[in-house]
Amino acid sequence: MNFQVIGRNIIQIAVKYWDKFLIDGLSYTFALSAITVAFGAIFGAVLALQKMSKIAPLRWLSVAYVEIIRGTPMLLQLYMFYFALPMLIPALNKQKFACIAIALVCNSAAYVSEVIRSGIQAVDYGQTEAALSLGLTKTQNFFSVVLPQAVKNILPALGNEFIMIIKDTSLASTFFIGDLMTQYVLIKGTTYLPIEPLVIVGVIYFTVTFILSKVFGFFERRMRHGEAR
Amino acid sequence: MEKQDNESLISVRELKKYFNDGEIKALDGITVDINKGDVMVVIGPSGGGKSTFLRSLNLLEVPTSGQIIFEGVDITKKKSDDGKKLDLPLHRRKIGMVFQHFNLFPHKTILQNMTLAPMKTKGLSQAEAEEKALALLERVGLKDRADAYPSQLSGGQKQRVAIVRALAMEPDVMLFDEPTSALDPEMVGEVLAVMKELAKSGMTMVVVTHEMGFAKEVGNRILFISEGKIVEEGTPDQIFNDPQSPRLQDFLSKVLI
Ligand SMILES: Nc1ncnc2c1ncn2[C@@H]1O[C@H](COP(=O)(O)OP(=O)(O)OP(=O)(O)O)[C@@H](O)[C@H]1O
Ligand SMILES: [Mg+2]
Repeated sequence: MNFQVIGRNIIQIAVKYWDKFLIDGLSYTFALSAITVAFGAIFGAVLALQKMSKIAPLRWLSVAYVEIIRGTPMLLQLYMFYFALPMLIPALNKQKFACIAIALVCNSAAYVSEVIRSGIQAVDYGQTEAALSLGLTKTQNFFSVVLPQAVKNILPALGNEFIMIIKDTSLASTFFIGDLMTQYVLIKGTTYLPIEPLVIVGVIYFTVTFILSKVFGFFERRMRHGEAR
Repeated sequence: MEKQDNESLISVRELKKYFNDGEIKALDGITVDINKGDVMVVIGPSGGGKSTFLRSLNLLEVPTSGQIIFEGVDITKKKSDDGKKLDLPLHRRKIGMVFQHFNLFPHKTILQNMTLAPMKTKGLSQAEAEEKALALLERVGLKDRADAYPSQLSGGQKQRVAIVRALAMEPDVMLFDEPTSALDPEMVGEVLAVMKELAKSGMTMVVVTHEMGFAKEVGNRILFISEGKIVEEGTPDQIFNDPQSPRLQDFLSKVLI
């Protein structure tokens, strides 16, 4: 390996294709990740509430869903949604970005539902007892006492989930949907260089996730400040 | 206010609470009347059912059988005989409770801890609720900590806040479950002083405690509960100076050293 040549190639590719990486690729990766986290959190919250419901069949449904998602490879799920969704919903025909986004949301929701459920259950039951003893209803207790404390348990984990998803979306490049990893495959194809663009993409992934984890860490510490028990 | 002094506020009838399908009989037939103005102190060995008894009174523990008649309403029945649905939160508003571990809301300031329930359940405006809260905080010497968070207070301060938080609902009775057991010894006194003052003001109180000094001095009735039953009941003088049952004598010999 000639490191000098590789180094020069990296710089040349970065200069020539920077917009492909940073504008096309990264924006798709970000969009996909943001959609996944946002809708995954909403769907995940529904699954979590369902799992804590008094109605047994609702619980079973939620448990079964989470187990199936967690027990099968993500790539398999992506393939399944990619092929099966357009057959079920004709409007999604040729909408591969939408299909993949939906697959990622469905996957993330299963993991997030566990985060939300444990975040809620981690709130000391003494809080609920105090609220009920003061005459609050169960609903008032949930929204005024339990949920605000649960959010503090949940948000940091959601931040981690966002970072995980940014990396996981690289699997979507299997379907050429234009994300960062797709750009790698394309540029590898035009330059016939497998290593150099990979290094560039790796640096971008690392930089983004590193900065995000520092930013989330900062907010997490601020959130805990002064109000911890 | 028209109520007579010895009118029964809470009538407990044959109260039973079993855990693990009857394997554990936490309460095994408790019958007692708590009268207006009573300061009833509940003592007894660990695991005897004191907490379960207290927590049943506001239905944090749902009894297996028996009745709890609070101000004329059997709160163990989901529906009364004339078909009216029980409004449990409504009754709980009149039953204040203080816990061993304070259970203040950590995400709210002291003032917010105190105004949450009055505003949510009684429709008080923020200004009204805060005015009342500040007056109560002043009573326990904590007005200047109104904007602090619970984590910034000492244990004794937290418990005093917990007491006035319950008082802000203007309850007819206050329940205390070992309110000083989680405190450092030097902070026990300040909490007992608040409770003593509360008793003097005429508040009906049911207090589970290991503080025998408080029981003798402030209580007007002592309940000795062991193995889910009331083994002996009487005035402080009867209980401490003339215990009848061997179990009470044994218990007192262990705690009064
Ligand atoms: N949620 C529960 N599930 C099962 N058993 C329980 C539960 N709560 C209480 N018990 C049991 O019921 C019995 C009475 O408990 P309780 O807490 O009322 O005793 P206590 O007199 O308050 O004791 P202590 O002085 O230790 O607080 C004990 O045997 C206890 O283990
Ligand atoms: Mg107890």
